[in-house]
Amino acid sequence: MNVEKVVFGFFIILALTLNFGFVVGEIENPDHHDIYEFYAVILVNLLAMGLKLGDRSQIGALLLATSLVANLQLISAAFVWTMAVHVTETGLTPGVMASIVSLAAGALLANIVSVVMLVADSLMSGR
Amino acid sequence: MATTSDLSRVTSIVLRFMRTPVLVLITVYAIAILGMVAMPGQDAEGNPMHMSFFHAFYFLTYTATTTGFGELPHTFTNAQRMWAIVCLYSSVVAWIYAIGSIIRVIQNPYFQEAVAGRSFSRGVKRISEPFFIICGFGDTGSLLTRGLNDSGYTAVVIDNDGERIKALALRDYRKTTPGLRADASVPKHLIDAGVKQPNCQAVVALTNDEDINVKIAVMARLLNPSVRVICLASTHRRGEYLEALGRVEIIDPFDAFARWLGTALYAPLLHTLKHWLIGAYSFTLDKPWRPPMGTWILCGYGRMGQSLRNVLLARGVRTMVIDPDMEGAEDIPEEDKVWGYANANTLRKAKVLEAAGVVAATDSDPDNLGILISARSLNPNVCTIVRQSHHENELAFRAADADLIMQPSLITARDILFALISPLIQTLLDHLREHHETVLDNVTHRIETTLGGQPPHLWTVKICDANAPAVTVLRKQRCTVTIGDIMRDPMHRERSLACVPLVLARRQANVVMPDPSQALRARDEVLFCGTRYAERQVGATLKNEYTLQYLVSGMQESRGYIMKWFARRITPRTTTLDG
Repeated sequence: MNVEKVVFGFFIILALTLNFGFVVGEIENPDHHDIYEFYAVILVNLLAMGLKLGDRSQIGALLLATSLVANLQLISAAFVWTMAVHVTETGLTPGVMASIVSLAAGALLANIVSVVMLVADSLMSGR
Repeated sequence: MATTSDLSRVTSIVLRFMRTPVLVLITVYAIAILGMVAMPGQDAEGNPMHMSFFHAFYFLTYTATTTGFGELPHTFTNAQRMWAIVCLYSSVVAWIYAIGSIIRVIQNPYFQEAVAGRSFSRGVKRISEPFFIICGFGDTGSLLTRGLNDSGYTAVVIDNDGERIKALALRDYRKTTPGLRADASVPKHLIDAGVKQPNCQAVVALTNDEDINVKIAVMARLLNPSVRVICLASTHRRGEYLEALGRVEIIDPFDAFARWLGTALYAPLLHTLKHWLIGAYSFTLDKPWRPPMGTWILCGYGRMGQSLRNVLLARGVRTMVIDPDMEGAEDIPEEDKVWGYANANTLRKAKVLEAAGVVAATDSDPDNLGILISARSLNPNVCTIVRQSHHENELAFRAADADLIMQPSLITARDILFALISPLIQTLLDHLREHHETVLDNVTHRIETTLGGQPPHLWTVKICDANAPAVTVLRKQRCTVTIGDIMRDPMHRERSLACVPLVLARRQANVVMPDPSQALRARDEVLFCGTRYAERQVGATLKNEYTLQYLVSGMQESRGYIMKWFARRITPRTTTLDG
């Protein structure tokens, strides 16, 4: 067992599971999407991206790309949330909530791709 | 240069043919529009008005193309309707004339040739990988193209015969193979075929005409001094002339044929190995063919027959020659000559009953098959070797069941293929020919056990930044990478992939059957024989430094900056604990 692989896999899979947890629920209902969970999703995704930095292999480059996409989507969602609550002060109307959750759902897809690649790489190398 | 000249040619032909139709169209449109504007009309309320130029042009656009939307923008007056009739007939006629002219240009054979030439040179320009120019798409040319394609190389074909080029387009090649119907000895066509492109590897002149082959060799050498030139020509006539050109490789089809036959007769295991390596699947390594010793009867004493006799003579084998004219046979003793065409009678005269073997080497396939049948009926035990000149007769020759079928075109194509794609294999074969048969036995045995019955595949690994970046990275870290390391199986480090390193090529010397513990250096080339799976795995290892690192050291290196930082922080502590 390789401790490095455990840590790496832990963060990448946690990024996916948290993201899923945030997205799941009625898309327009603010009660189904918790702000603290959203905070955790962004944090873990950023950490996963940090772990992926510096891998010079082909698969490493693709993994990093998925993380970049996920973070871009999540930060956009955070931006929309901040704008709605603090700047325009429209509050979390169903429309705003739907746009936040759909952005997070995009990040979820990127995280799924990332986990699939991680598993495939481990299976291919077979050790 | 060549592309622009072709491009301008096509464009200029179209423009020249279209000049009159375009002028007619413009005139008809101009008159019709002007007339439509001039005709008195009226608007919806009945006020007199004239059509604007825009509306007139719009009306003409849909009438001239016979679409016909009706009377726009307002219902026409009768004067306008009169003019509309004129417009409609004149413009439709003008359009039919113009379209007819375009069709005539397209059907013009010269135009078609110019378009084909243009698309050919564009296709060649688009090739980014290394490619070979093949001049002449006969038996040898098509076999060579097929061989190159199967090995994953791109070929460009020029042939004088339009039918052959059409046939080329219908072949199921894996790589796009541009073909041009042209005389390859004309420099312009060679340039179109990309002889000046830096990724052009070689020009192979394979036409039926030796003079044209020599011409192609000269042109190619002059147009691109750094390209490899291979020329099919008989050595004794053209050799010196081509040698004077410098670095033109000459393949003499008769000589190549005779050498192959010599190998087949006197180094059968080597012959079998060679066939097996290039993927002639009918050959298996476990039953090499041993020809009988004794007098051989040679039917047909042309250039092929002469080369064959020389080879057999060099081995001290007596040959009886059957030929009607015996051209150039002055040095053969009279008792070894039988005058006349080879048939049952002459074969009996040549003592076929006592002969070890019969070689049917005339240049006619039906004659050779006839000789084969006569010889068999006279002496069922005689060993038969038959020459097959035309590839399309293959089924008949297979049915004839000779001991050995030799196709000069196939042999030449294979020799050239070897020379083009793995020059290192020649090193191996030469080495094996020089050494005792036990060396050959060992090599054969090793390949056989490694592959375990799978078809062999040859490939060359070049240790350079493009093909093997991982080796470069590891060597920078002062880490030695051996041939054995890159052959390791990434799934099970202690096991080796199904491949055998045959030759290691360095600048100073080539090593045949290198030891796996030999360290790799920059710019080394290794010829491997193995499975396709092994080739893919070795290729992947050479590109992934983490895999290679693991294969060399057995340790997984940390990936990513953060993990490396942790690894650096943890390792010193453990060492101090150990210390």
